[in-house]
Amino acid sequence: MNPSYLAVEIRRLFRSMRFLIFVVAFPVVMFLLQANVFTKASAPDHAAVVAVVMVNMMAFGLFAAATTNGTRLALERASGWQRQLRLTPLSGASYLGGKAVSGMLVGLPALLLVPLVAILVEGVHLDGAGWLRVIAGLWLGTIPLVLLGLLIGQIATPESMQPISMIVMLGMGFLGGLWIPLEGMPAWMQDVSQLLPTYWLIGLVRPAVTNELLVSFPTAIAVLAGWTVVLGALVTRRYRKDSARV
Amino acid sequence: METTQATRGARDVAAGAAVRLSGLKKHYGQVRAVDGVELTIAPGEVVALLGPNGAGKSTTVDMILGLSKPDAGEVTVFGKTPGDAVRAGMIGAMLQGGALLEDLTVRETVRMVAKLHRTPMPLDQALQRAGIEDIADRRANKLSGGQKQRVRFAVALVSDPDLLVLDEPTAAMDVGTRREFWKSMYSFTDSGRTVLFATHYLEEAEEFADRVVLMRAGRVVADGSVAQVRALAGGRTIRAVLPGAGEETERLVATLPAVTDFELRGERVAISSSESDATLRALMAAVPAVHDIEIGAVGLEGAFLSLTSEENTEPGAAR
Repeated sequence: MNPSYLAVEIRRLFRSMRFLIFVVAFPVVMFLLQANVFTKASAPDHAAVVAVVMVNMMAFGLFAAATTNGTRLALERASGWQRQLRLTPLSGASYLGGKAVSGMLVGLPALLLVPLVAILVEGVHLDGAGWLRVIAGLWLGTIPLVLLGLLIGQIATPESMQPISMIVMLGMGFLGGLWIPLEGMPAWMQDVSQLLPTYWLIGLVRPAVTNELLVSFPTAIAVLAGWTVVLGALVTRRYRKDSARV
Repeated sequence: METTQATRGARDVAAGAAVRLSGLKKHYGQVRAVDGVELTIAPGEVVALLGPNGAGKSTTVDMILGLSKPDAGEVTVFGKTPGDAVRAGMIGAMLQGGALLEDLTVRETVRMVAKLHRTPMPLDQALQRAGIEDIADRRANKLSGGQKQRVRFAVALVSDPDLLVLDEPTAAMDVGTRREFWKSMYSFTDSGRTVLFATHYLEEAEEFADRVVLMRAGRVVADGSVAQVRALAGGRTIRAVLPGAGEETERLVATLPAVTDFELRGERVAISSSESDATLRALMAAVPAVHDIEIGAVGLEGAFLSLTSEENTEPGAAR
């Protein structure tokens, strides 16, 4: 890993308007919107619903950061920058590793801003263990999503990147239960959602905010780890193929 | 004329060659992009790789840089594999097209690449050598084509490489910036570094290279000093009528000085000559009745095209 390279990567993302709006502002706005539309302050389960929405929007922000991070790969492939980097001592592993780490780091604004707003504006209250579980759990659980973003970036062109990542993000978001409660969905959709990393990402941290729809913790870990291994292998293979063919 | 730089190179620097390609082949599907290239470049040489589009220049360059694997044959750069040479920071390259990040400033881009290398040259020196100090704080998407090329040049030389490979370096430049570019190139090669540049501007090769390698259809068709290639390329065509021409005339024309090629149709002859004055004097002495003489310049481009496109061009024609 090359720290100065990583620093530039992250600086580049923060310069992008799309990133700031989509990845930083959007999850916060959507959190505030949903926390005031889905539930009334007078409702008995208000606090729990707001906390669930908070977790959902943190996860969404991380996912958006991961795919936006992935778009860089498509651009760098198309522009020939990846070829230029291959003429430096930076190894393929460092390049991909750097992209993965930057995908994790650029998710931090959403991961921290949404709960901050939740505390200050909506009065969400969790204990220390709860916060730790939500923040650390979501952050580490986002690893497969970061890899998914990289894989899309490796396959897509700069033109197709936007629609592809939108479809993946919305599809996996809805079916994973990030936007609407799963219990209202048809049975087949609920079956599909059981396969998605987004579903298990939420499941991983849900016990900190609600007692409903709980999933087995070891299963959540196992499924997310499985996605990580498979996506990691695909990303590596694709990079090898890419660099052999050029 | 007997010894080309290539054979001299092969003899002197077989061990310490800057670049050595042997039996290099690469095909894409049915297309044999590179079809058996042999080339040795000595340290300190400035070599132009000339050829029309599709001649295999870029594919050859990619293999030298280790960006693509040869199907057959071997590439060594200073005795190492391209990958090892790249990791050691010995190769700097200016690739065709893009290769800049739109959202970084010029200085950030060059600094980023410098940080990836173990022994880069000071950042300001790289910016100054490429002549881009004045635009160092601009983002890449605010640059003209020529300015982008100079930034790519800075990216190529910031690692302080021993071998600089430039693929069509002046493609997006106007005449003025092209001149500026080559001036900064010169200061770089003064320090004894090896340069290989691919181009399809013959004038550029003539003016800036010590040695010219011509490629066509994946092969080296001519390889020699600039003077040798200039002789090939700077030829003229003499057209004339030779009264009573016959087989004997054909033999006579063939023995005239500086004739590179000729065609006799009836009494009309078209002679390609590398030195038309000498050819013409000898022709007039041998055939006093010659009349309707016209001399036309083949033109650099025409000669280059004929050299790189004719099917009957012998490999190594300049040797």
